[in-house]
Amino acid sequence: MLPLARAFYSSVARISRNNRVALHTASTLRCKEATVVDNEAPAENSEESGSDASPPDGKDRTKVIPVETSMRYLKSAAYRTTYGEEFVWTQYRRNHKGMYAPRKTRKTCVRQGKISTGNPCPICRDEYLVLDYRNTDLLKQFISPYSGQVLSYSKTGLCQKSHLRLKVAVEQARDCGLLTYDVPFREYDYSEYYGKQEEPIQLKS
Amino acid sequence: MSLLRHFRKLSVEHTRRTLAGSASSNTRQYDKDPQPLFTDAETQRLLQNMTQLQLDKVFRKRTVSDNSTETKFMTTAQLEKEFLQTIVKANKLLQMPPVVKVKEDAQDALITKDAALKDFADTKYVFTDITFGLRNSERKVVVRDVDGSLSYASLDTRKRMNQLYFPLDGRRSYTPRMFSKPELLQRCLEEHKYEFVLDRLTVQYEPYELEFHQISARVFEHLMESKQFDLLRSTRHFGPMAFFYAWHRCIDDLLYDMIRQDYLHNAVELIALSYKIHQIPVDYKQTLGQLDALQPTPGQRALAELRNCLKKPQEQHIQDDIQAAIGKTEQDFAADEISLKFIEEYIGGEHALKKVQLELAVQTLKELNLEKLQLYQGLKKAHGVQASSS
Repeated sequence: MLPLARAFYSSVARISRNNRVALHTASTLRCKEATVVDNEAPAENSEESGSDASPPDGKDRTKVIPVETSMRYLKSAAYRTTYGEEFVWTQYRRNHKGMYAPRKTRKTCVRQGKISTGNPCPICRDEYLVLDYRNTDLLKQFISPYSGQVLSYSKTGLCQKSHLRLKVAVEQARDCGLLTYDVPFREYDYSEYYGKQEEPIQLKS
Repeated sequence: MSLLRHFRKLSVEHTRRTLAGSASSNTRQYDKDPQPLFTDAETQRLLQNMTQLQLDKVFRKRTVSDNSTETKFMTTAQLEKEFLQTIVKANKLLQMPPVVKVKEDAQDALITKDAALKDFADTKYVFTDITFGLRNSERKVVVRDVDGSLSYASLDTRKRMNQLYFPLDGRRSYTPRMFSKPELLQRCLEEHKYEFVLDRLTVQYEPYELEFHQISARVFEHLMESKQFDLLRSTRHFGPMAFFYAWHRCIDDLLYDMIRQDYLHNAVELIALSYKIHQIPVDYKQTLGQLDALQPTPGQRALAELRNCLKKPQEQHIQDDIQAAIGKTEQDFAADEISLKFIEEYIGGEHALKKVQLELAVQTLKELNLEKLQLYQGLKKAHGVQASSS
């Protein structure tokens, strides 16, 4: 009787653990995504059916997701059901004690290949969001439409490590011309190019 | 990190050479110094008119760190003054990048050769005069080589030193990958980021550099294929673009676009510019003079547009209403007639390459104009407006 009850208990615990993972994290999406993201989803399914003993760990971040997958994910239906039309960081709220949040966000969400916190930052919570200079759809969400600068972590809630990675990626993307920005205006001193004997051309209004 | 940077430098050097090698063969280059023709007062006026002045586009909200606006209460007189200043400011923002020939390194760069200083150090020394108030082109930069010879620095070194001591906002000390990798540039062009590429080009390179000429030529040629001329209209790059087309005898695409968009005045100016550059004996000055008398310059037009928003609705005359509805005035119709005649002469001549296309466009426009004219006259009659009241 006792082993039977224990087995029942453990299976209930497993189900509840799977359900407890917040709705917006990637692990629940993984099954939805099976139709969209083709290269790793089948592998996962076969793994699950083969060895039932180890369920996929939603906190594991050792697997490297290629950028191409992430770029496809941002265009997929799975992404839209999760985030809708909003940015990936709009719905995120930081956890902190007291009225005021600490000035800086946490140093990192991932330690030793695992999510080490209960409220990982918007980039770390979804493993299919990869910060890379080619992933312009994602980078654009973190750029202010008014000043053209990268939004502060106090607004987006990114952990310090992700924020640094974001800044590097944005700079690389601008270097490659994948992200456009307003180039500073350069005023020409015509006499430098046309020689001094000629007067500069009068611009008529 | 330093290793990475080294690799990047290597690859930049490599691609620069390949770019220079491949681009010079297939892009159009200025075969002689274009500067005297470009700086000519008449050419400048033509180019400025062609550029047009759309205030919305010139003063679009820029995503820069300080783009604050100021709100003030003003009297009408003050406002009037402010309008005038706005036009001056807009013209400043439309300043065209200079079109000059490619500058080569000086041949007699050597100043002295002091054999006594040979092997004094195992690196070169660069000396830069950083006196305040000097222009970048006037600054003296000399190099002491390992073998003891003292010579003027090459243009490349000069640029690097100037950037080091007097950095230009937006210029990178390394070549942006967008310019060093042809496939990235191609991607930018395919996404129609023409203005961005050209803006960045003006900041990154000097107008007399070979890369400046090659990349701008590539952008203009791509633009000729995609025919998105509207993206550059009313920016500082439109003038050099029109000049480039006129110089290389390929104005037909731009001309077609102008006729389609009903910018006949500009079309006439473009043809006149091409006549002027290639010294074709056609008298265009008379037509231009007539048109100038009939139509305001872009500056005046923008000013009128600004003043228009001061008018109260009850002041609006019925004639203005009709003109606003049609989009043309009586003078515009007269000017169109003159320009159409001039354009048809060009199409009939030997210099037009895409005659059929242009003829069709002109025909369509003529029919449209006729309808507009009929509507205009009909409306005037219906409202009982006298011809003399204008």
